[in-house]
This record gives sequence, C-alpha cells and structure tokens, in this order.
Amino acid sequence: MKRTSNILIVAALATGAFLAACNRGEHNRKPGRIYMPDMYESRAYEFYSARLSGLKPVEGTVKRGELLPYHLKESDTALANLVKNPLTITPTDLKEGERLFNIYCGICHGTALDGNGPLYKGGEGPFSAAPANLVAGAKSGYTEGRLFHVMTYGFNMMGSYASQLDREQRWKVAAYIRSKQPGAAAPAAAPAKDSAAAVVASK
Amino acid sequence: MYRRVSILLRKHFVSVLILCASIVIPFSSVKAADPAKGKATFQTNCASCHNVHKKLTGPALAGVEDRWPDKKLLHQWIHNSASVLATGDKYANDLFNEFNKTAMTAFPQLSNEDIDDILAYIKVEGSKGPATAGPKPEGQPEGGTEKGNDNSLLFGIITLILAVVALILMQINSNLNKLAGDKEGVLTPDPVPFYKNKAYLALIILVLFMVGGYFTINGAIGLGRQKDYMPEQPIFYSHKVHAGINQINCLYCHAGAEKSKHAMIPSENICMNCHKAIKEYSGTYELVTAEGKKVDGTAEIAKLYDYVGWDPNAGKYTKPGRPIEWTKIHNLPDHVYFNHSQHVVAGQQQCQTCHGAINEMDEVHQFADLSMGWCINCHRTTKVQFADNNYYSIFEKLHQDIKDKKIDSVTVEMVGGTECQKCHY
Repeated sequence: MKRTSNILIVAALATGAFLAACNRGEHNRKPGRIYMPDMYESRAYEFYSARLSGLKPVEGTVKRGELLPYHLKESDTALANLVKNPLTITPTDLKEGERLFNIYCGICHGTALDGNGPLYKGGEGPFSAAPANLVAGAKSGYTEGRLFHVMTYGFNMMGSYASQLDREQRWKVAAYIRSKQPGAAAPAAAPAKDSAAAVVASK
Repeated sequence: MYRRVSILLRKHFVSVLILCASIVIPFSSVKAADPAKGKATFQTNCASCHNVHKKLTGPALAGVEDRWPDKKLLHQWIHNSASVLATGDKYANDLFNEFNKTAMTAFPQLSNEDIDDILAYIKVEGSKGPATAGPKPEGQPEGGTEKGNDNSLLFGIITLILAVVALILMQINSNLNKLAGDKEGVLTPDPVPFYKNKAYLALIILVLFMVGGYFTINGAIGLGRQKDYMPEQPIFYSHKVHAGINQINCLYCHAGAEKSKHAMIPSENICMNCHKAIKEYSGTYELVTAEGKKVDGTAEIAKLYDYVGWDPNAGKYTKPGRPIEWTKIHNLPDHVYFNHSQHVVAGQQQCQTCHGAINEMDEVHQFADLSMGWCINCHRTTKVQFADNNYYSIFEKLHQDIKDKKIDSVTVEMVGGTECQKCHY
C-alpha cells in the first residue's frame, strides 16, 4: 500500500516538472509564463499598438537639427530639376551616400548603378520592371535636385523612400549618384560638390 | 525499310516539297524581325514600365498587335504617343485614361525595324504564356527533428532499467543471505522491506530534492524569458526569402535600427516598394511552416494587398489601409533600457550577433535569451571600436593608456558597459 503511494508521489512530481518545462506550446508558439506582467506589457509608449504605429511627425514641425522641409509637389518635376543640394558634400558624405545607396537603392539599381540589382537580375529576379540605369541613358542626366525629388515621391514603379531616408540622407545619396554619373563635374553642380567629386575621382 | 520510305518519298515528292515550303515561308517572312534583337531593345527601352505578362506602369504587352486596330498607328504611338492622342483615336485615349493619364515616353530614336523586332519578341514571349509559378519542391521531409532529445530519452530508459535490475539483484542477494543464515542456524533479524529502510528513504528524498530543486530553479529563472519563442504572424513573411535569397539588407526595412531606440517594424509602404510589382511568389524555394504546412506565397502577398487596400489588377489603392498587427517577439521589460542605434552605429554590431541567422529563418524565433547575464557577458568580452570613433573621444585616460601600451583594446565594460544605471534607471 505504502509502496504504491510512493510511486504515485514520484509520478506526480515528474508530471509537474514535465508540464513546467513545456509551457511554450508546440513549436514554441506561446511566449511562456511571466511574473509581474505589468513590466513586460508596457503601458508606456508602444510602437506595436495599431493606434500609434507609423505615426507621422506633427504637421508643420521640424525636428531639431533636421534640414528644412521640401515643399515641391510630386508633379513639380521641372522645378525639382533646379533645386540645389543644401549640404556641403565632403568625401565622408559621399562615402555615407554610397553606403546608404548600397542598402536602400542597390537592391534594385545595382551597386554598380546600372539598373541590374539582385531583385531584377536582367529579368530573372522577382521584380518584373527593369530598374533605371543611373549611369547611362536618359536618367544619367538627372540633377541632384531631380534625384532627390524621385527619392522623395517615387517614380513609376519605384516607391517613395522618404520614410526610410531622412532629407539629409537623401541628399547624400543624390550626391553620391551624381558623382558616379558621366559629366559629374559639370559646372551645373555646386562648387563644393565639384571639389568633392574631384577628390573621389583622384583616388 | 529504307527502300520503302524512299519510294514513298518519291511518290509524294511534290506534296513533301509543298509541306517544307509552307513551313519555311512563314519563318522567312518573320526573319526580317529578329526577336533576339528585339529582346535587347525591349530590355533597355521598355522594360522599366512594361512587362510582357504583367501590368506595371504601362499595360502588359502580350497580344498588343491584336489590340491595336492598325500597325502603323502602333508605330506612331511608340514614336510619339502624344501625336496619336491628338488625333482623338478612341483606343489610344481610353488607354491613356486607364493608366491615370501617365504619358508614355516618346521613342523617336527607334526605327520601324527596331519596333518590329520588339513586337516579334513580344509575340514570341507572349505565346509562351506567363511564367508559371512552378516551384520545384526540393523535397525536405520534415520530422526526424531533435535527434539529441531522442538519444537522451533512450539513455534515461536504459538507466532506469539498470536501476531496477540492480534493485532486484540486491533483494535476491539479501534473501539468499537470509536462507544461508537460516541453514547454519544463525538467527538473522527479519529484513526490513526496502521502503522502510532508512538509508533507502534518505537517498530517495535526497534525489527528489535535487531533481525538484533543479526544475524549480530553472523554471523560476525561465519565467519571463522567451528564448526560441516563435509566434504565428498574421502574414507568413519569410525572412529567408527576403533577407537571405533576395539579399535585401536588414536596414532596408528596419531603417530605425540606425536612428532610434527601436529597430521598428517596417511600415506597409516599405512592403509596397517592391510588392507593387511583385504580385506572386515564383521562387523555387518551398515555404513551409514549423508545423509542416505548405504555404502559398502568392496568397500571403494577397493578404498584404488586403491590409494596405491595394488592388493589384487596377494598380491603385482602392480602400483605406489598416495596420498589420505583427506579434512582437523580442520583448524587454520596462525596467531595462536598450537602444538599437547605440549598438548598430556606435558599437558596429551586426544584427545577427543578437538575432541569430535571421536570413535563414522562415519564421523568426528569438535567438538569444535576452537575460541580464547574456547582456553582461557580451559587454565584458566585446571590444569596442575605440580608435577613430568620435563617440568615445571623451575617454581620455583610456586613450592615453592605449598610447602608453598599457592596454591593447577596450571592452564595453571599461567604458562603463556593466554599470547598473547604464541600463536600469
């Protein structure tokens, strides 16, 4: 009699331990147990609530240290051609522009800027529209202002990158693209940019 | 056999000749337009707005020649679409309006032969039919998982059997001893049954205490830790397909990792940067959930369209979008401060250091246990990029020590990475 009760106690303990170990559910679909859930499920500012995710900055405000807003509308392409880069581009900025280009643009336009990134692969990739060749053809003549405009609003199949790159980063990318294009040292570019391009070219 | 064929051939010489001619003639007439040459011209001039089978900025081009009433007009349209619109041609104007009045770029530089080449290419490509999303499943039978666990179970069972055998042998031994004693007339006391034997009981209690303690302590430590947590997400988004196979940089979507405390769940417009054009999953890699259920990638993309309110056929947003409620996996309690940009920009850490091989995960699970010990261990051993880093320029003594060759590198701990109030305040 006592023997069976012993066995029962051991069995109960073993099951208890087994259950405690498996509170994640099959394939770890459940988060497991927590104590003091107030600490984990924050009532403070959360990105994951439907209400707060992806809010835009308050209308008419400029973040401290940020470049001033860009006021041209999507259809103002002729005006965009004339917009000058407000930054004084240094070689470091061009390097940063290259890094940003390779992350955000290279996936389609290719790190060689030839419009043949891994997503297109000469028509083999999943993206069915050919990305623009930025170093040859019609688009190689775009000014920095126009490049910035396209990054801000998108163009044809390309979407807007304003949510990923802030204004300063977009200008740096534009300067980098321009520095790679034929005729980059054209007098149309700002003098500061010219010397920067010359430094890069002399490297 | 050969003779019979040759006789047959001779008999039907004329009809064979006609047959051959009828095969050759259409080919020779098409020969003027070279689809291979057309493909090259198409890729450089047309492909950024047109696809043969898919509607992009402009219409899908398969069967374009049949749709236009007049080939000459089509040529004129390609040379200068505005001039065709000006004539008031109904088909042209309807087309213009259907595509949100986006004017087609004029291509005056294309000769009539170039255009014929392109049209020939479109005809050849169009007759092939859309590339079928025929995933060739690389048979990856699920199951046979966790072999290590199976082994430990086996060893456990063997240990148990051996223990039982040892117990039985001990019983037999004591019984035999007793019998031998009886025979020799030596009076041995009645044996105490093993469950009343104090030594046995003490041993069992000790073992139970240790096993119970192990599970209790482990369970208590594990409370609130979510290592390996892999929730089901509203859309089967495979990081392996995006970051692995298609080589999209982590920062492309999680742009916040460089700029803010949070890496950020990407907003839906970032999905639509690519998925405006990528409407179906045509990869050869087969998507399978952890449960072994096959996933239709195209249906998952359709779910995205439903969330953002995009109509892929019309090519525009037709209803208000709503947020996708992804389930958060990596969660730090409120009393811990963690900043992504600090680790990614100043610390130059790769995402994979803490998140594991995300680019090989179909469904993301938590790779690290995100415990305090895990943080501290890394801070003790990781060397910061001290030289040429403006961020650490204020640590003058350490810079001096490096110059004096007293130390050769600086760990996170040395710049205060294990101070309590760095993360808890």
